[in-house]
Amino acid sequence: MKPLFLFPYWGRYLGYFLVFVHIPFVLYKKQLMGVHGDEADMGIFNGRHLFFMSTTLLMAIGLFIAAFSKEKIEDEQIVQLRLDSLQWAVYVNYLFLIISLVFSTDTEHILFLNLLVPLVFFIIRFRWKIFQNNRLIKE
Amino acid sequence: MKNNIRVERAIKNITQADLAERVGVSRQTINTIESNKYVPSTVLAMKIARVFGKAVEDIFTLDDED
Repeated sequence: MKPLFLFPYWGRYLGYFLVFVHIPFVLYKKQLMGVHGDEADMGIFNGRHLFFMSTTLLMAIGLFIAAFSKEKIEDEQIVQLRLDSLQWAVYVNYLFLIISLVFSTDTEHILFLNLLVPLVFFIIRFRWKIFQNNRLIKE
Repeated sequence: MKNNIRVERAIKNITQADLAERVGVSRQTINTIESNKYVPSTVLAMKIARVFGKAVEDIFTLDDED
């Protein structure tokens, strides 16, 4: 079974690096302007929007590359684990989405959550399963 | 699905790593197949059988649950 296109092995570390890099920027911005910044500074392609866009893109691309990079040895079990984890991630994402749609009207944050949850949950579930298999071999 | 890969390996005196390399999967995959945690595809099952020079049915047998 041939998997679909995946990033090369080192993509995982590049991805983690991008996610890690975006954290200090966001923290710095929050300290500088407060959580929501200057409310007068609204609209598209202004300072606030550009900053939000670039940091969010950095994080999203980082997570994306980290999630979909090859393992050292790609075999059919890895492919199956990846698909299983993806299904789990979609389930969890929709659970979160439905709960937040019912109990919240903050669409901006719902969207943001929706951006994060599938990839983060996918990465955690996938790596956890690989960790379990590695631990099994040492017993 | 049950299998007797562990026994066959002992007879042929090859390690999990050797078998993994010969059929082109990771050692983890051979380990999970041996401990019945993962059911291999037909292609992989046939490759494993070929390493031992036997038919697939001699190595893999259906379980009551299957």
